[in-house]
Amino acid sequence: MKKSKDKSLVRVFMIVMFFVFILLFTYSSLNLKNIDYGYRMHELVLREKALKEKVDKLRAQKASLLNLKRVERIVKKKLNYQYPRSDQFVKVFENK
Amino acid sequence: MMKINKKERNRAFILFIVFSIWVLFIVYKLVKIQVFDYTKYISKVKSQCNRIFSLHPKRGTIYDCNGDVLAISIRAESAFLSNKDNKESMEIFSLLSKQVRLTYREKKNIKERINKGRKFIWIKRKLEDREYEKLKKIKHNLNSTSTLGFVDEYKRVYPQKTLAAHVLGGVGIDEQGLCGIEYEIDSLIRGKGGKVKVLIDARGKIFEIEYLKQPVAGKDIFLTIDSSIQFFVEEELRRTAEKFRAKKGSVIVMDSKHGSILAMASYPFYDPVRIKHTSQRVLKNVAVSFLYDPGSTFKIILASSALENEVCHPKQIFNCYNGVFHIKNRTIHDIHPYEGLTFEEIIINSSNIGAARIGLRLGKENYYRTLKRFGFGNKTGINLPAEEYGILNSLKKWSNVSVAFLSFGYEVAVTPIQMARAFNVIASEGYLIKPNVLKRVDGIVLPQVKKTKILSSSTGHIMTSIMTEVVNIGTGKQTKIEGIDIAGKTGTTKKIKNGSYEDSYVSSFGGFFPAKNPRITMFVVIDEPKGKFYGGEVAAPLFKTITNRLLIYLNIFPELDKGNEVRI
Repeated sequence: MKKSKDKSLVRVFMIVMFFVFILLFTYSSLNLKNIDYGYRMHELVLREKALKEKVDKLRAQKASLLNLKRVERIVKKKLNYQYPRSDQFVKVFENK
Repeated sequence: MMKINKKERNRAFILFIVFSIWVLFIVYKLVKIQVFDYTKYISKVKSQCNRIFSLHPKRGTIYDCNGDVLAISIRAESAFLSNKDNKESMEIFSLLSKQVRLTYREKKNIKERINKGRKFIWIKRKLEDREYEKLKKIKHNLNSTSTLGFVDEYKRVYPQKTLAAHVLGGVGIDEQGLCGIEYEIDSLIRGKGGKVKVLIDARGKIFEIEYLKQPVAGKDIFLTIDSSIQFFVEEELRRTAEKFRAKKGSVIVMDSKHGSILAMASYPFYDPVRIKHTSQRVLKNVAVSFLYDPGSTFKIILASSALENEVCHPKQIFNCYNGVFHIKNRTIHDIHPYEGLTFEEIIINSSNIGAARIGLRLGKENYYRTLKRFGFGNKTGINLPAEEYGILNSLKKWSNVSVAFLSFGYEVAVTPIQMARAFNVIASEGYLIKPNVLKRVDGIVLPQVKKTKILSSSTGHIMTSIMTEVVNIGTGKQTKIEGIDIAGKTGTTKKIKNGSYEDSYVSSFGGFFPAKNPRITMFVVIDEPKGKFYGGEVAAPLFKTITNRLLIYLNIFPELDKGNEVRI
């Protein structure tokens, strides 16, 4: 009688322990996962920021390369282009 | 089945008890930490791994009307020295000073601060990328109590250098607008700083971010300025100013229909990046802050007023007293003596005596009313700072001869932008349109500015035809371009220095084209040209060269012979 009572007690204990462990494991793993997500989010935020900064820098660089003074210097000195005179223009009309 | 004896059962039971106590202890501790002592531990955690940082807002980008970047903010690092030992800091600084570009004064200043034992010393704000890379290497190799640190900041970049500098203005070291549009709309473009709370682990790695206050980036701005037009306007202005060794000058190019400023150039130019080292005289936007007597360009206001008040008609003849006209105790001269001129001819040949005679016939009340309607003595309201009001005395202060002198642009002070707006009244058939430089703010197109009808269309038409003759046969002949009708008026003013008129002049020319359907209104002013000084000789040729380039850029073709027309 006593033997069977002990056995059932051990069984209950094991079940309780199992659930306690499951609970603890789930709780800690969720927390760890959250922390891991935090690291990854921060990493992504940093990457996004770095990319935005790079885009801004490239836009600024592009704008400096398109600096009209520079463009005119290249066009005139390197390519030997000249401004057209107004009489060099030809008006083209489309007959409808 | 295995048989468990009593001894073993007792052992298992003891183990069970011990294990239960251990588990219960853990559960108790967890409940205590997570529930009962939650606030205590959370505050401890916060104090250990919470950090609060300020976030700098990114200043908005400024574009021209075609979307080309005129000003943009990019990330830049600023280097500082955390001084714990003066001797060590001085050694570090001697290393750093070889890698970054610093002026003698800046170096001296830093050394003084180190010697005074200051704890925080800026080495250089907003480093160049190359400088930052070099300093980073130095920081890595440092082994001292004093440390080198970096702060993330934004740096304003003007990729087009001096282009439209007076319109753009510039910013200070903390990205605050100092002048130009950067100052005028600083609150819009600056944005708002934010605060962020981060959680860091034992290794200093961030694993949680919480925005306490989201930073608001400054708004992007689109100007009405067309950088291509601005570019060649500046080029031609520089050429003219250098040729005549002028003190300063300005050109305003305006869309006749909407009052949008397409180009606004002021000479001498400056680089907005070097604003700290630029004198106040150069920083001034001549277009809105230069006060001068308008001279003969003002005759268009007089003529408009006379026509509007129907006190004379275009063919009416006025006696011009052969070039010398006495009024009270003052004398008015004409450069070329005329016996008699019609109303039209007075404007075409720019006769001061003729203008004075028209003014006297018009009467001071009528003339004053017109001047007020044209907005003289008030700001135009353009969205640029430091605009001058101009000087227009109240009617009570006008002497008996004031109306005569005001008729040819003396006893009044105006700004180039006021004159550009006045010329645009004729171009737009009598509408006074507020000039503006702002087109869009963050994608939102700003409503069109209000127009006020101040002259009748018929007055506008008559004035346009008279001003076209000024260019065809009058004082503005040097502006004439074959095949295109230009309406304009020259102006030459003697400058007052120390209370008397001296031999220094302001040369100006205002006009619009094509005369029949104006698209562009332009005003040119050159201050103190040397050698030549007449408006027709200095300002008018500049107007012509800019017009020639504008015609090509805007696809306005001169009506030449049919030889250059092809029909397909």
